[in-house]
Order: sequence, then structure tokens, then C-alpha cells
Amino acid sequence: MKIVQMLGSVAVAALLVSGCAKPPTEQVAAAEKAVLEAQQSGATMYAAQDYAKLEGALAAIKSEVTEQDGKFALLRDYGKAEQLATSTKADAERVKADAIKKKEEAKVGALQAHQVAQDAVKATLDLVAKAPVGKDRAAVEAIKSDVEALKASLNQVQLAIDKEDYLSAQTQSKAIQEKSQAVSAEIQNALAKVGKGKPSAAKKK
Amino acid sequence: MNRWRTNTGCLAASLCAALLAGCIQAVPQELVDAIETIDRDLIALRAPEIAADDYARFVRQWVPLKARVQSEDDLIRWPWEANHLEADLRRLHEEGGQAVARLSDRRTLQRQAVESKLARVEERLQMMASHVEAIEGRIVLGGKPVQTDLLMKQARTFFDQQDYNRSLLAAEQADQALIAQAAVLSRELGRYADEERIARWQAQAKQTIEWSRHQHSTAIVVSKADRVLTLYKNGRPVLTHPVRLGFNGMREKQYSGDGATPEGRYRVTAKRGQGQTQFYRALVLDYPNAEDRRRFEQAKKAGRIPSAKGIGGQIEIHGNENELMAQTLGCVMLDNAHMAALFERVEPGTPVTIVGALTGQNSVAYALAQLTHREEDT
Repeated sequence: MKIVQMLGSVAVAALLVSGCAKPPTEQVAAAEKAVLEAQQSGATMYAAQDYAKLEGALAAIKSEVTEQDGKFALLRDYGKAEQLATSTKADAERVKADAIKKKEEAKVGALQAHQVAQDAVKATLDLVAKAPVGKDRAAVEAIKSDVEALKASLNQVQLAIDKEDYLSAQTQSKAIQEKSQAVSAEIQNALAKVGKGKPSAAKKK
Repeated sequence: MNRWRTNTGCLAASLCAALLAGCIQAVPQELVDAIETIDRDLIALRAPEIAADDYARFVRQWVPLKARVQSEDDLIRWPWEANHLEADLRRLHEEGGQAVARLSDRRTLQRQAVESKLARVEERLQMMASHVEAIEGRIVLGGKPVQTDLLMKQARTFFDQQDYNRSLLAAEQADQALIAQAAVLSRELGRYADEERIARWQAQAKQTIEWSRHQHSTAIVVSKADRVLTLYKNGRPVLTHPVRLGFNGMREKQYSGDGATPEGRYRVTAKRGQGQTQFYRALVLDYPNAEDRRRFEQAKKAGRIPSAKGIGGQIEIHGNENELMAQTLGCVMLDNAHMAALFERVEPGTPVTIVGALTGQNSVAYALAQLTHREEDT
């Protein structure tokens, strides 16, 4: 009888041990790490929607694990959480790759826009150098101030690029290019106007 | 016995067929598609950026439900079995639909608010430009107008990209830059609205006119704000002509090359006729006088003037060298016909008083009042 009881206890213990499911700690940690890496690669800015889904998935995994943790040990099933963690990790890796690609595209776009803006400002500066220094000074001096401000704004674009804020860098560059073209047109008009006259030498005033 | 078996078999087959026909798919595909559409709508409405909590709540439910849908894709169930997955999906569909409607309204309101802000700032920008042009104050502002213009262009670009948060931020920065511009104008040109200063200018002009009356002679008064030169004889105005000032003429002259036209009481020291000046005819003034020198030294000591700068000179009342290039570096310039008339009536020794303004209702004071008023509206 004692032997039977002992065997029964061992069998129950073995059943309990083998029946206790363990939370997928490693898989969840791997998913969290992958999501963090996606965030650090710039996904919040360059793949915002996909990144939001990753955060939602992480929250869902935690919720599922907590729900299973709250159940009686024998009834716990972490299968769904494990499956979700695995798929979230794969998604996070895809989002990270996507964000890196989009960020690189934005960087290339920002650098190109910066170059175009620099060229536009340089063309305007070249025109300013041709502007008459003797007279019509109000317009020329105002234009010089404008071009100096445009030059200073190019530094702002560089700062945005350095901070990897490529979207701001692109819009700033576009604005500088447009304004440079407007200022150039203003100088062309002034040159056309005074080209008919003869500039005089500057004098002390 | 065989017949019974056959009948039983037929009955069982019919029952199975009936039961199978009664089985239904675990989740209707159209419901899953509808939630997918809601997700796309939320993304199109930029929910992850503008309503992160709402979108996170949706995603926290949708991700596990979607996983369940995929894992139970091939399942069928009996009609009498409760379908928790479908119930959960229907609840999410309802919540998601409400979130889309809510965000859509919010997005419309945000777009309208930003559009209105852009319109207001653009209106202020235009008003500032028009006032600055009217008072020839562009140089006073340096590069600020360009910086403001760039911010507004950025705001427009972000608006076109439906990035309303950034658009609003850029528009607010542009608005602040406009307030800063108004402050610079007030600081640099505020004396045109300063009653004490105007009273002093009025007194100077009055003394000059009185001198003309007592001496039975000519005297000149120039008002910078009105851009008008008046020639008095025996204390009575005999000529009034429009003038142009230096490229930075509205400012008080501080040093050589600043483009400002000096303010003070001067005398004509020499007349330069045909062949003696490049500007048609010229009346040379005694700038800098003792008062100018005293002010210059004080400003230099106080560090308000760069140490390398000189006080300047050769301030004249003159005509145009060329109509197409009609701008002076700090002198008072008239059209040649007006200059000819003035030149004939003025002799060396004639007093010339240049003032900022003769009344409080001058163009600069008006522009500053308008700009300050707008600033208070902000």
C-alpha cells in the first residue's frame, strides 16, 4: 500500500513539474531588444506607423504573459505570447531595416537639397558682387543683408543634418533655395535698372 | 437487416451533411478586412503621431487578435458554439471606427486652426513688409525679414505635407520673429513717436524759422519722416520739395558709412555748381559740427560705435547724378529741377535744420503704432 502511495505521489509530482509552463522570458527579451534597436535606428521618425505597431505588440505580449501568470499553474499556456514575441522580433528587424533605408533616403535627399540651396545662395552672392556700390544703396544694402541671412540659414540646415533631422533640413533648404531665387531676381531687376547708369565711386558720408 | 443498415447509414450520412452544412467559419473575412481598413485610416490620419495613446490602445488589441485570426484561420465551429474571437473583433471594429471618426474631426479642426494661423501670420508679414517699406526701415532690420520669410515658407511646406504640428511650430516661430522685428523698429526708430524728442525737433525748426524772419534771410528745414525740404524766406515757406535720404536715412547718423542722414542744426558752407559736383548741384553742410563730435565721442566711449569707425563727412543737399541710380549715402537729395530752384536762392551761411519729425502724427510713428497694436493682438 505504501509503495502504491509513494508511486502515486511521484507520478503527481512528475505531472506537476512537466505540466508547469514557463514564460517565454528569452523570446520576450529578444523582442524588446529588437524593438529598442528599431527605435534607435530612427523608426519613430522614419517608420512611425510600423513602430507604433511594434510598441502595441510588446504591450500585447506583456498583457498575455501577465494573464497567463495569473492562471493556475497547470492551466498556464504561454504559446500565444511566445508566438507573438517571435513574430514581433521578426517585425522589429524588418522595421529597423526599413527605417534605416528611409533614413538614408532622407539623408541623401537632405544633402542634395542642402547642396541645391548652397548653389542658389552662391549664385545670389555672385550677383551681389556685380551690384553697383556707388548708388541705389538702399536696395543693394538690403539685398546684402538678405544674402547674409540666407548664408546664416545654410548653417541651420547643416545643424539639422548633424542632428539627423533630415525632414527639417529638406524643408529649410527648399525655403532657402526659393528665397535665394527671389533675391536673385530682385538683383537682376536692379542690375537691369542701373545697368543703364554709370556707378560712381563711394565717398565718405 | 441489410435494409435497416442501409437506412441507418443514409440517416447518418444525411445528419453529417446537415451538420457540416451548419458549420460556419471561425471569423468572417469581411470583419477582418474592415479592421484592416480602420488601421489604414488611423495611419492616414497620422494617429501614431497625433493620438499616440488612442493608436496604442487600438494596436494593443489588434495585434493579438490578428495573431489569433491567423492561428484559427482554418477552424470551423458549430453554429451553437460561442465565438469569443468574433465578439472581440466586433468590439475592436466599433472602437476603431469611433477612433477614426474622433481623429478625423480632430484632424479637420487642427488643419483649420493651422490654416487660420498661417493666414494671420502671413497677413502680419505682409503688413510688416509694407510698413517697413513705407518708412524705409529695411536696413534697420538686417537679416530678420529673411529669417521670418524662411520660417513661413517652411510652415507652408509642412502644411502641404499635412504635418500640422511642425507647420504650427514654424508659424509660431515666424510670429515671434515678427514681434522681434517690431521691437527692433521700436528701439531704433521709437524717437519718432517720442513726444519729448518731437518737441525738441519742433523747437529747433521754430528757432530756424524765427532766425529767417529776424534776419530777413533764407533758412532750410528738412523733415526726415515726411521726406520734405522747406525753404523759408523772411520766416515764410517759399519752396517745399520731396527729398530722398541716405540708404539708412531714418536712423540717426552715428559714423562714416552707416548710410544714415544726420539730425541737427547746420549751415551751408559752400555751393558747388556745374562741374564742381557729380550730383548736378550741391550745398555743402558743416557736418560734423561740435554737437555731432561730442555725441560721436560719447558713443564711442560707451562702445556703441566700432573703434575703427570715423565720424564721416561731406554731407550735402544735392541733386541726382543719374535718375536711374537715385540714392544717396547719407545726404539729402532732390530732383534736379527742384535742386536748381533751391540752389539759386541759397547762399553760404544759410542755416539748415534737419529733424526726425515735426509732428507726432508722422509716418514712422504711425507705422510703429500699427505694428505695436498688432503685437498686442497676438
